[in-house]
Amino acid sequence: MSKDFGFWAIVRREIGRMLSRPLYGLTIVFAPLFCYIFFTTLMGEGLPQGLPAGVVDEDNTVVSRSILRNLDSYQQTAIIKQYANFAEAREAMQKNEIYGFFYIPKGTQELASSQRQPKISIYTNGTYLIPSSLLYRDMKTMAVMASAAVGREVLYAKGANLDQAMGFLQPIRMDMRALNNPWLNYNVYLTNTLLPAVLALMILMVTCFSIHTEIKDGTGKEWMDMAGDNVLKAVSAKLFPQTMMFSLMAVIYLVLLYGVLDFPHNNGFWPMLLAAELLILASQGFAVFMASAIPSLRWSLSLCTLWGVLSIPICGFSFPVMGMPPALQALSYMFPLRYYFLIYVDQALNGVSMVYSAWFYVILLGFTILPLIDIANLRKAAREYTYLP
Amino acid sequence: MWFKDLLDVSGKELRKTISDTGVLVFFIVVPMLYPLLYTYLYSREVVREVPVVVVDECRSATSREFLRKADATADLKVISYCSDMEEARNLMHRHKAYGLIHIPAEFESTLVAGHQATVNLYCDMSGLLYYKALLSGCTMVSLDMNRDIQMERLSGLSDWEKDVMTMPIDNEYVTMFNPANGFQAFLIPAILILILQQTLVLGVSMMAGTENEQRRAGMVLGHEYDNPITVLGGKALAYLIVYGFVSAYVLCFVPWLFNMPQLWQLPTLMAFVVPFLMASIFFAITISFFVRDRESCFLLFVFVSVPLIFMSGISWPTSNIPPFWKGFAQIFPSTHAINGFARINTSGALLQDVRYECLMLWILTAVYFMLALFIYERMYRSDKMPGAEFVIAMRTKVRKNIRVAKRDIKGKLRIEK
Repeated sequence: MSKDFGFWAIVRREIGRMLSRPLYGLTIVFAPLFCYIFFTTLMGEGLPQGLPAGVVDEDNTVVSRSILRNLDSYQQTAIIKQYANFAEAREAMQKNEIYGFFYIPKGTQELASSQRQPKISIYTNGTYLIPSSLLYRDMKTMAVMASAAVGREVLYAKGANLDQAMGFLQPIRMDMRALNNPWLNYNVYLTNTLLPAVLALMILMVTCFSIHTEIKDGTGKEWMDMAGDNVLKAVSAKLFPQTMMFSLMAVIYLVLLYGVLDFPHNNGFWPMLLAAELLILASQGFAVFMASAIPSLRWSLSLCTLWGVLSIPICGFSFPVMGMPPALQALSYMFPLRYYFLIYVDQALNGVSMVYSAWFYVILLGFTILPLIDIANLRKAAREYTYLP
Repeated sequence: MWFKDLLDVSGKELRKTISDTGVLVFFIVVPMLYPLLYTYLYSREVVREVPVVVVDECRSATSREFLRKADATADLKVISYCSDMEEARNLMHRHKAYGLIHIPAEFESTLVAGHQATVNLYCDMSGLLYYKALLSGCTMVSLDMNRDIQMERLSGLSDWEKDVMTMPIDNEYVTMFNPANGFQAFLIPAILILILQQTLVLGVSMMAGTENEQRRAGMVLGHEYDNPITVLGGKALAYLIVYGFVSAYVLCFVPWLFNMPQLWQLPTLMAFVVPFLMASIFFAITISFFVRDRESCFLLFVFVSVPLIFMSGISWPTSNIPPFWKGFAQIFPSTHAINGFARINTSGALLQDVRYECLMLWILTAVYFMLALFIYERMYRSDKMPGAEFVIAMRTKVRKNIRVAKRDIKGKLRIEK
């Protein structure tokens, strides 16, 4: 290639390499961009509305019909069909037509009016956990309300007013406040971590791939020569244009989340930009560490992929780390995304002082300098090793 | 004769698979280990004992009873009684606690006066499971205490009368098919299916990438069989044999190992898994044509797993997926397979209950078979251009000569040393 020498020459050379293959464009720009658009539009509703549910009304009386009418007035539940019996409703659930149903047995009104405590049942399909939990919340409230309505009538008849009635029916009341996400918005809850997770996965793979491709193509020697055999310079110059591209992609998702969609960002834009920038560097650092430790394209790429994919569940954004087996709890500290997630919780969601997150930033920085341990291997690998499929 | 050719291709493909460590990793090692790792990760199903802090401004017998009972639930664990909100907030900021129970000073006096008293709950929203734990734990306690309070006020009535007064209509909740109402039973079936499809895609693409590298290097490729259908069918048969065993392990053994719900009936499961594997195999062969070299399959296909899980509707409900994405999701075998398998495995659905998914998988099998055939046919033609065989033979010869020369030089160098 060129006879140039030094940092900027390698940068120019790397830009040329990136442009020469559509693979880089696909993985650095297209893949993250696709995921940004996909996840934010998929969950655009925030909290699922109108979840299909059914009823089995074997009683078919004034009381049962009033319960059903009230249930349908809940925003999250849509009663789409009435089934003749339990078996039919269960089958509809197995066919995925409904996520749950209300079962009102025969004689409900009769028992209620003669004060013999009938029982109504709520069934939801636990195979689909999210709609099942959401439906449960509505249906349970409804059942309690229906019961309270009957009780309230009795108390009114005895001369109580509303305040007294409620003080009797529900002496202790819960007032639940979901801090900083009062809408229980799933888009906020999930995409804030999913988007950087995909980006970090791509960074881990692209970094490892681009370094080992030098060995595979037999250009490793030329690369090291251009850096004057300074492996640190060689690697940092090579990764520099990628860092710039990934930073651009990070800015795009940050603007999308905190600018366009206006998700909670209680400490403003900059702490998250810093976190995203450090996540990029940490992921690159980790990938270089792997690439140097294992001088085989396939194996180091496999490990980087494993790390990137595993970081998504193990960072604890959907299923909390505290609920995992202890061995995996310990392992979760070895994933850069875990620290990004903790910073996001502090800085964007809860807006607490930077002091609380300082360590997380520092640890991300630690991942960045991780390759200092073994990068010397890479010089040897680049100069001497040959590619093994 | 045609059938013998088919078996021949199959045998060769199997040998090729076994001799390529890279492909073996995708076909055997990843499907062996990933399901164990993921299932283990979610093996506790739910979060228990979520740490919460407490600010009790009332400090009465009733407020203490409430907190004691909250601490005793499986959902919550009180880690600290704070003197004020500031102290409590600080603990939450340091990720020591994920919820805050605040009992106002007038709590007891309101209750005694016969009015409605309020307990304030504040929840950290970094995980919805914290919210669920805090809400369900405290609701349980409040229902329990409400009952006791009502009972006290109703002294003089019989137990039966009290029951009716406090709860004129009783209710019960049954979460079907997921006894623990947890993550493992709901997410793992989806992950298992996705692992099967994605490892097939990665393994097949890796082989195709290798072939493309060889083709660029001029090493390929005398085709021994005239009919592309034979080649395509033979390869598919080879993968089907390998994945028959792999899916038995992934879909039956792993859930059994972790005691997950398994309500499938064998005929239904078989009738569903076969079209899924076929659709995935032809899907993998089709998209493998876009892979230029061995390792780029990682970069191109791994990240797709994340959107694919969400497209299936296993977490964000299908009923609420925007129409465009719902349509887009139809072209992936995993979408239908996840929905079908989750219901067959977890809710005990029969074949007629997953009719739609099964039909779609057969349609996808046909579509991807045609696509793969079309591309094979074109590749055949370009590989078989007039003179191509001569060129290939010459290149091979030259390469061989170079190799021999290199070996000679190395040998000489060694002797000189």
